[in-house]
Amino acid sequence: MSEHATIGVFLILTLVFPIAAMIAAWLFRAKPEPSEEKLLPYECGVDTQGPSQMRFKINYFIYALVFLAFDVETIFLYPWAAKFQSLGLFAFVEMIIFIAILVVGLWYAWKEGALKWY
Amino acid sequence: MFDLFSGSWIIVALPFAAFAAIGLFLHRWPKAAAYTSILAMALSTLWSILIAIQVFTAAPGQVFTAAVRWLEMPGLRVDMGILIDPLSAVMLLVVTIVALLVQIYSLGYMEGDPGLSSYFAYHSIFAGSMLGLVLSSNFGQVFVFWELVGLCSYLLIGFWFGRDSAKEAAKKAFITNRVGDFGFLLGILALAVLFGNLDYQHLAMRLTDYHNLAVLLPIALLLFAGPVGKSAQFPLHVWLPDAMEGPTPVSALIHAATMVAAGVYLLARAFFIFSAVPQAMYLIAVVGGFTALFAASIALVQIDIKRILAYSTLSQLGYMVMAMGIGAMTAGMFHLMTHAFFKSLLFLGAGSVIHAMHGEQDIWKMGRLSAKMPVTTWTFVIGALALAGIPPLSGFWSKDEILLGAFSRGHLFLYGLGSLVAFMTAFYMFRLIFVAFFGSGTKGSHAHESPPVMTWPLLILALLSVVAGFVGSPLLGNVFGKYINAPGAAHHEMNIAIMVVSSLLAAGGIFLAWLIYQKEVISHLELKQRFASVYEILYHKYYIDELYARLVAVFIDGSARVLEWVDLKIVNGLVNGLAYFTGWSGKQLSYTENGQVQTYALYLFGGVLVILVGAVLAVYYTVLA
Amino acid sequence: MGYLLLAPEMLLTVLGIVVLALGLILPQRGKKVTGAVAMIGTLGILVVVFWQFGYEAEFFQGVYGIDAYSHFFRVLFLSAALIIFAMAGNYLHLFSERQSEWYSLMLFATLGMIIMASSGDLITLYVGMELMTISFYILSAYLLDDGRSAEAGLKYLILGALSSAVMLFGISLIYASSGSTVFAVVYQTLQAQVVTQPVLIAGIILLIAGFAFKIALVPFHMWAPDIYQGAPTPVTAYLAVGSKAAAFAALLRILVTALPAAHYNWTMLLAILAAVTIITGNLIALAQRNVKRLLAYSSIAQAGYILVGLAASNVYGFKGVLFYAMLYVFSNIGAFAVATLVETQSGSSDFDAFSGLAKRAPMLAAIMTICMLSLAGIPPMAGFAGKFYLFSGAIQSGYLWLAFIGLIMSMVSVYYYLNVSRLMYIGKSSEQSVPVPAMARVALLVCLVGTLIIGIYPQPLSQFAEIAIQVLY
Repeated sequence: MSEHATIGVFLILTLVFPIAAMIAAWLFRAKPEPSEEKLLPYECGVDTQGPSQMRFKINYFIYALVFLAFDVETIFLYPWAAKFQSLGLFAFVEMIIFIAILVVGLWYAWKEGALKWY
Repeated sequence: MFDLFSGSWIIVALPFAAFAAIGLFLHRWPKAAAYTSILAMALSTLWSILIAIQVFTAAPGQVFTAAVRWLEMPGLRVDMGILIDPLSAVMLLVVTIVALLVQIYSLGYMEGDPGLSSYFAYHSIFAGSMLGLVLSSNFGQVFVFWELVGLCSYLLIGFWFGRDSAKEAAKKAFITNRVGDFGFLLGILALAVLFGNLDYQHLAMRLTDYHNLAVLLPIALLLFAGPVGKSAQFPLHVWLPDAMEGPTPVSALIHAATMVAAGVYLLARAFFIFSAVPQAMYLIAVVGGFTALFAASIALVQIDIKRILAYSTLSQLGYMVMAMGIGAMTAGMFHLMTHAFFKSLLFLGAGSVIHAMHGEQDIWKMGRLSAKMPVTTWTFVIGALALAGIPPLSGFWSKDEILLGAFSRGHLFLYGLGSLVAFMTAFYMFRLIFVAFFGSGTKGSHAHESPPVMTWPLLILALLSVVAGFVGSPLLGNVFGKYINAPGAAHHEMNIAIMVVSSLLAAGGIFLAWLIYQKEVISHLELKQRFASVYEILYHKYYIDELYARLVAVFIDGSARVLEWVDLKIVNGLVNGLAYFTGWSGKQLSYTENGQVQTYALYLFGGVLVILVGAVLAVYYTVLA
Repeated sequence: MGYLLLAPEMLLTVLGIVVLALGLILPQRGKKVTGAVAMIGTLGILVVVFWQFGYEAEFFQGVYGIDAYSHFFRVLFLSAALIIFAMAGNYLHLFSERQSEWYSLMLFATLGMIIMASSGDLITLYVGMELMTISFYILSAYLLDDGRSAEAGLKYLILGALSSAVMLFGISLIYASSGSTVFAVVYQTLQAQVVTQPVLIAGIILLIAGFAFKIALVPFHMWAPDIYQGAPTPVTAYLAVGSKAAAFAALLRILVTALPAAHYNWTMLLAILAAVTIITGNLIALAQRNVKRLLAYSSIAQAGYILVGLAASNVYGFKGVLFYAMLYVFSNIGAFAVATLVETQSGSSDFDAFSGLAKRAPMLAAIMTICMLSLAGIPPMAGFAGKFYLFSGAIQSGYLWLAFIGLIMSMVSVYYYLNVSRLMYIGKSSEQSVPVPAMARVALLVCLVGTLIIGIYPQPLSQFAEIAIQVLY
C-alpha cells in the first residue's frame, strides 16, 4: 500500500483543501438575512451601468503583462538584494544583465505604444 | 608522388563536372558545351599521362589504393575507392586518349547538329563513368559505373531518336545488356554473401585459401555473364551491330575502343577469381574463340561499312576473351590496348567517309575514294593493316601474343581457330578497302576530304596504331608483360614460326581480297551464286535475331498473356480493393479532425488516461504472473 | 573552454535582442537590415559551434551540459533556422513592418530548442521548452489579418498549455519519487527502487505524453494540422522540423540517461505509439487536398518513423533518430520552401495552386519532387538511408512487426507524395511564373544538395550521429 500512499495523499489533499477552506469560511463568517442590497452582484462598490457582458479594452491586458514582467523581476531582486553582500560581483553583473534584458522589453513595449491609453 | 595519386579521383570528377556544367548552365550554347567537355577531357588525359609515367617508371607490382567508406552494415562493407596499378594505368591512358581524340573529331563530325550540347554532355558523363569503372577498387563500385556506361551507351545509340531504327537499337542494347548485368549482379551478391566484402585486393587475399570449387564455379560463371553482355560475346552479341545506329564517333569510342572492352578489363581485374576455376576458364576461352570465328564469318559478306567494322569488333573482342580464357591475361590486355587504337581509327575513318558521302554507308556505293580523300584512305589502310596483323604494326604483336599463348599452352584447336580468324580478318578488311577506296566503282568521285579537326585525330591514332605494339614486342623486351601480369599467367618465349605463319596468313588474306575485288580475277558475283545458301546464312547473321524474336514471341509473350489475365482479373481486383479501402479509411479518420479545441483536448486527456490505465494494468499483470 | 562553451547560447540571446532593438531604432522598423543581421549572426554562431567541436563540459552540477550530442543538435537547429530565414524572403512582406520581431522570435525559439537538447535537468528542459513554445504561440498567429492564423495561434496556446500541465505533473511525480530533477541523480536514486511503483510509472507516462504532444504523436496530434495550415508557412516549416527535433532530442536524452530502458520497459509503449502514429498519419494524409495540410499529416507520420528508432532503443535506432532528424531538415524544409514560394505568388496552398507548376517553375517542381521522394523513402534520396537505419534498428531489437508496419505505410505514403508531383507535372497550368528570390534559390539548392548527398553518401552524417549518440552511454 505504501507505494500508493504518495499519490493517494496528494490526491486527497487536493480535494480536501479547497472544500475545507470553504467549509471553514462558512463556519466562521457572519450569516445575516439576505436583503436587496446583499443580493446585488457587487456588494461593495458602484452599481453596474449598461450591459455587464461587454469587452474589456486590450490595454488592460497589455498593462497587466508589463506589470507582470516587473512583478517577477521584483521577486528575483528581493532575495538578491537581501544577500547582496555575500553574493559578490558576479551576481551583481548577472543582475545587471537581467535588468538590461527587461529594460529592452520595456523599451519595446513603450515604442509599440503599450503604455499609451487609447 | 603520391599526391598525384590520391588526387586521381579528379580524373573521374572532371568529366562529371563538365556534364553538370553543360546540363545546368551551358546547354543553350553548343560551342561552349563542346569546348567545356573537351577541356575537361584534356585535363583528365594530362593527369592520366602523368600517372602512367609514374606507374611505368616505378618498379612493377606497386599498387596505390585509397578508399572512403560508403556503406557499412553487419556482414557487408562497400567502399568508394581508387585502385591504381599498371592494369588500370593502361586503361586510363587508352580511355582518356581515345575519348579526347573522339571528342575533338566530333567537333567536325557533329557540326550543326541541333543536339550538340546534349551530345557532348553524354560524352562527358560517359567518359567520367568509364574512368570511374577503370579506377574502381571493388565490385560494388564497378557495378555502379558499369550500369552508368550502359546508360550512356543507350543514350548515345539512340541519340538520333527521330529514327525508329535508332530507338529500336538503343532499346535492344539496353535490354540485352540487362540480361548479362543480372547475372553479374547475382555474382557480386554471391561474393558479398560469401565474403562480406567486395574489395578486389581483399577478395584476392581471401581466395588464396578458399578452394570450394562447387561455390566458386557458379560465381565465376555469373560474373562472366557481365562481360558476355557488355563485351557482346555469343549469345548476347546481337546488340552491338545494331548499336551502329548511333553517330559514328560514338561507335568508335564506346562500341569499339572503351565500353565494350570493359568486359575484358573486368576479366583481367577479376582474373584471380577466374583463374582459380579451370572449368570456367575453359568455357570463357571457348565462348571467346567461337565469337571470334562466328563474327568474322559474318563480316565476310556484310555491305555496310560500319557493320563490317562492328562484326570485326565482335570478333576481336572474342579474341581478347579467348586470351583471358586460356590464361594469357597479358596478351588479352595488350590486344585490348592496340585494338582500341586501330579500331577507333577505323571507325573514325569510316565516319570521315560517311561524312563525305553524306550518310551513305553501303560500300558498293562508294569506290575510288583514295583519289579524293588521301588522308582518310591512308590512315584507314594503316588501321586495317594493324588489324590484319601485318608486322611490325601494333596488331601484329598483340595478336601474335595471343596465338603464342594458345599454342604454348597446348590449346592447339584454339590456336588453329585463331589463325583462321586472322586470315578471315585480313580478307574482309581488305575486301572493304578495295571495294570502297580503290576498285572499279566511281561513285565516290564527288567526295571531299574532311576538315583538319577530323583528320588530325586520324593521324594521331594512325601513329599510335603503328607504334603502340612495340611496348609489348619481344624485340624491346616486352615491357608491357613485365608490368601487367597475373599469377598463373606465365609469359612465353617468342616463337618465330608462329610469327611467320600468322604474318603469311594475313598476307594471304589480303592477297585473296586483292585478287577478287581489285583485279577481279575471280568474280565475286559468281562466288556469291555458287555458295548462295552459305551467303544467305552469313548475310542474315545466322538468323540469330530472328531466332530470338521467335523465342521471345513464344515464351515471353505467351507467359505475358497468361500473366496479364491473372493481373487484370485477380491482382488488379485485390489491389483496387485495397487501395479503395485505404483511401476510405483515410477519409473516415480525417473526420476525427473537426476543428474544435475541446475535442482535441478530449483526445489528449483520453490518450493519457488510456495509456496510464493500460500501463498500470500491464505492470500489474506481469508482476502478478 | 569553461563558460565559453556556452557562447552560442549567449550570442543567440544577444542576437535576438539586437534584432529586436534594431527594429526599434532603424527607419521602417529595420525592414531592410534585420533579415541580413539575423542571417549573418546565425551563420556566425554556426561557425562558433563548428569551432567548438570536440569540447565538452558540464555546468551547474549537471543541470546543463555541452557534449557531442548538443553539438549535433546545435548544428541541426541553427542550420534549419538559417535555411528558413533564407527561404522566407518575399513571404515576409505579408508581415508588413513587423519583420524584426519575427526574426527575433525565431531566434528565441531556436535558443529554446538548443537549451532543450543540452539540458541535463527537468526544470531547465521545461524552461527551454516554454521559451520555444511561447515563441511559437506568437509566431503561429503572426498573420494578423488572417483568421486562420489567429485561430492557429489560439488553439496552439490552449492545447500547448494543457500539454505543459500534463508534462509538469509528470515531472513533479518523477521528482516526488526520486528527490531530484537532475537526470544523473534521478538515474542513481531510481536504480535502487522498485520498478513497479505506480507513482513512477505515472510520472514517466505523463512526461512522455507531454513530449508526444510536441512531437504530434497520435492521439496527441490533433492540434498539428490546424496549426500547420493556419500558421505562416515558414513558421510551419520550423515548427515541423525544429520543434519536433528538439522534443526528440530532449526525450532521447531523458530516456537514455535518466530512465534507461533496461530498468523501465518503455519501449513497448513507444512502439505502440509509433505504430498508431504511422498508420493514422499516412492514412489521413491520403484524403488531403491542401499541400500544407498534407505536409502536416505527413510530418505526423514522419514523427512516427523517428519514434521507431527510439522504440528500438539500441545504438542503431538512436543513430537513426539523429540521422533522420538531420535529413528531415533538408527534405522537409525543401518541400515547405517550395510551398512558401507558391503561396507567396498565388496566395493559396491548395492543390490547385500547384497544378502545372513544372511548366511555370521547373526547378521548384523538381525540388519538390525530390524532397517528396526523400520523405517517401525512395533511394537514392536521403530519406531512404534514414528509414534504413531506423527500421534495421527496430528489427535488431525484435520489433519486426513495427518495421513491417513502417514499410507498408511508407508504400502507402508514396501515393500522396507522388500525387503532388503528378499534379505539378501533368496538371493544367496557368501562365504565371513563380518568382524565386536569390536567397530562396540558395536555400532551395542547399535543401536539394543536402537531400541528395546524404542519400548517396550517408557515411559522414551517420558517423556524426554515432559520435553524438556515444556520449549518452
